[in-house]
Amino acid sequence: MSDDDMGGSGDEDYYNDYYSDGHDPDVETLDKTLQDPEYFEFQCLTDTEVERFINERVEELSTSIQVTPSLAKVLLLMCQWNLSEIVSSYRADAHRLLIQCQVKPSMPANNNNTSMVSANLVSATNTSNRSTTNTPFPSNVGLMSSTSMEKAGDCVTLCSSSSKSECSSRDVVCGSNAIIQQESDVKECCCPVCLCAMKPSESSQLSCCHRFCNSCWSTYFDVEITQGITTRIECMSSHCEVLAPEDFVVPLLPRTRVREKYHQFAFADYVRSHPELRFCPGPNCTIVVRAKDNKPKRVICEACNTQFCFACGCDYHLPTSCETIRRWLTKCADDSETANYISAHTKDCPKCHICIEKNGGCNHMQCYNCKHEFCWMCLGCWRSHGSEYYECSRYKENPNIAHESVHAQAREALKKYLHYYERWENHSKSLKLECQTLNAIRTRIHAKVMAGTGTWIDWQYLLDAATLLARCRYTLQNTYPFAYFLAPGPRKDLFEYQQAQLEAEIENLSWKIERAEMTDRGDLENQMDIVEKRRTTLLTDFQP
Amino acid sequence: MASGLPKRIIKETQRLMAEPVPGISAKPDESNARYFHVVVAGPESSPFEGGVFKLELFLPEEYPMSAPKVRFMTKIYHPNIDKLGRICLDILKDKWSPALQIRTVLLSIQALLSAPNPDDPLANDVAELWKVNEPEAIRIAREWTRTYAMGN
Ligand SMILES: [Zn+2]
Ligand SMILES: [Zn+2]
Ligand SMILES: [Zn+2]
Ligand SMILES: [Zn+2]
Ligand SMILES: [Zn+2]
Ligand SMILES: [Zn+2]
Repeated sequence: MSDDDMGGSGDEDYYNDYYSDGHDPDVETLDKTLQDPEYFEFQCLTDTEVERFINERVEELSTSIQVTPSLAKVLLLMCQWNLSEIVSSYRADAHRLLIQCQVKPSMPANNNNTSMVSANLVSATNTSNRSTTNTPFPSNVGLMSSTSMEKAGDCVTLCSSSSKSECSSRDVVCGSNAIIQQESDVKECCCPVCLCAMKPSESSQLSCCHRFCNSCWSTYFDVEITQGITTRIECMSSHCEVLAPEDFVVPLLPRTRVREKYHQFAFADYVRSHPELRFCPGPNCTIVVRAKDNKPKRVICEACNTQFCFACGCDYHLPTSCETIRRWLTKCADDSETANYISAHTKDCPKCHICIEKNGGCNHMQCYNCKHEFCWMCLGCWRSHGSEYYECSRYKENPNIAHESVHAQAREALKKYLHYYERWENHSKSLKLECQTLNAIRTRIHAKVMAGTGTWIDWQYLLDAATLLARCRYTLQNTYPFAYFLAPGPRKDLFEYQQAQLEAEIENLSWKIERAEMTDRGDLENQMDIVEKRRTTLLTDFQP
Repeated sequence: MASGLPKRIIKETQRLMAEPVPGISAKPDESNARYFHVVVAGPESSPFEGGVFKLELFLPEEYPMSAPKVRFMTKIYHPNIDKLGRICLDILKDKWSPALQIRTVLLSIQALLSAPNPDDPLANDVAELWKVNEPEAIRIAREWTRTYAMGN
């Protein structure tokens, strides 16, 4: 609702003064959003295009802070691709950022649970042959500088020099209660996983200095990648969170099939972690949608026509927010048993009590027996129903509920939920029935044209009306979860008023479409205008 | 018998036999070197004191890349162990590391008996009682220890 005041003339002046050329893209987008609350800018990208997009970001970070592309990927992934923030925090405190992004260990390796304690002990006494001693992480983490390369080599030589001395290995147990037990375990310097002797040339370590043989790393990566873990593979040491970057993992993958799998899963991780990208949820569709704003707006896939919410990737759900629709759908799934009884397709006519089956989307019913007109939802008389205030969509809460018993409150809660669920469910059914109606309209048009009543183009308006009806019903359906979770108050009153207006006009349109003749065209087009206006007003006033 | 058995398992087994963990015995099955019969003594000054708990431990094909499978065979009243004897312990799940060993797993289980953790429960009803009425929960745990873990 706060969006309303953006349309004030004072604000427009402000924008025009501020952006003197008057062609600022943001202002244009703002204008379009004011005209059409569902307006949203997005692009559909093929996988090659996405790959290029991702690589460009990686390249950009890699050159601006002088790190390897592999390390740049870790940083981007861990910081949701916020390039400028990464650059500034890297310049402010690179060491801290690298710890935050799990590139460096949070504790110096010799305080950590390590199986290579000896290497660190030796390194502490053997400082004479080290070029720089002020860094506690003598390892290459992907920084492109000559000193760090030396340090990496340093670590390897230290390790080999200690291979003949006695290794003391630590067993660290961290269950729900951590206990640390130190034992003299292995009598020679060997890989802590396979317990075989290892040569420095056939073993590797990350910045944490936990060294393992290459064959164990390979097997470990194999197992992780099979489970779909790629960009989040951690060091093999217990409770060490240092991540294995791409240029560490890939050379240790012996099989091409696993290497392909790694790239495929890692690509998916990059897309999922990027706030501007979203996979099309359509079956077997490989399109990635890109949008600058991560908002719950509707996107339509160019390749497979799937419509979905950009922010959460589920079915489009405005005016309800992503969070609310998720709560609603969970609730519906949990309560499906209770709600089942209402799913029947038949009801009795409130006047003559004959059984009536609903076979169209319209909720304005007319009994085929006594011709009584009534509302399918509340069974109220349609004449009074349709007049001034459409009360059907509104749930009237019991004002004294706080003083009632727990049982009564539970019953009231269920009643309230069922009120909204019934309407949500009913509109979703109506929407499906509307598809049948559309086919019926096609048949009817065919018959009319063949009988010489008008031409194909004359009847086109009826199909347009049916399409609009489906869109409006979809929005209406999604107003119920929103209303259910809305706290009572003036905002809810306003919402339910607008919802009721929309509902009434939709039913009018539906009724008119089912009975339209060629002469009704003007009337129907007028009704289409009214409905669409009500729909956009509601969407504009209640943006999540 | 040990043909195709990784060196790591052989070494771990040898060491478990030569220097057993105090209070724990773990013996490989005669017909399957990946299957261990484990007996854990209830830790002192815990409600399980005096009890003798049987467990089975199995090293899957992927071990040590994936965690050993461990289960209590003796009934036990514990918030982190359910009716089927399954154990809620992070290192047996997502916090498993190939650098951990059978020995460390057994030590963790022993530690879990000394200090139950009702905030990370597997058996919800037990954890609930452990939180609202610890003396009563401990009384039941003692009773179960007497009934199921003694005199066998
Ligand atoms: Zn190894
Ligand atoms: Zn590590
Ligand atoms: Zn698609
Ligand atoms: Zn959404
Ligand atoms: Zn009737
Ligand atoms: Zn009604």
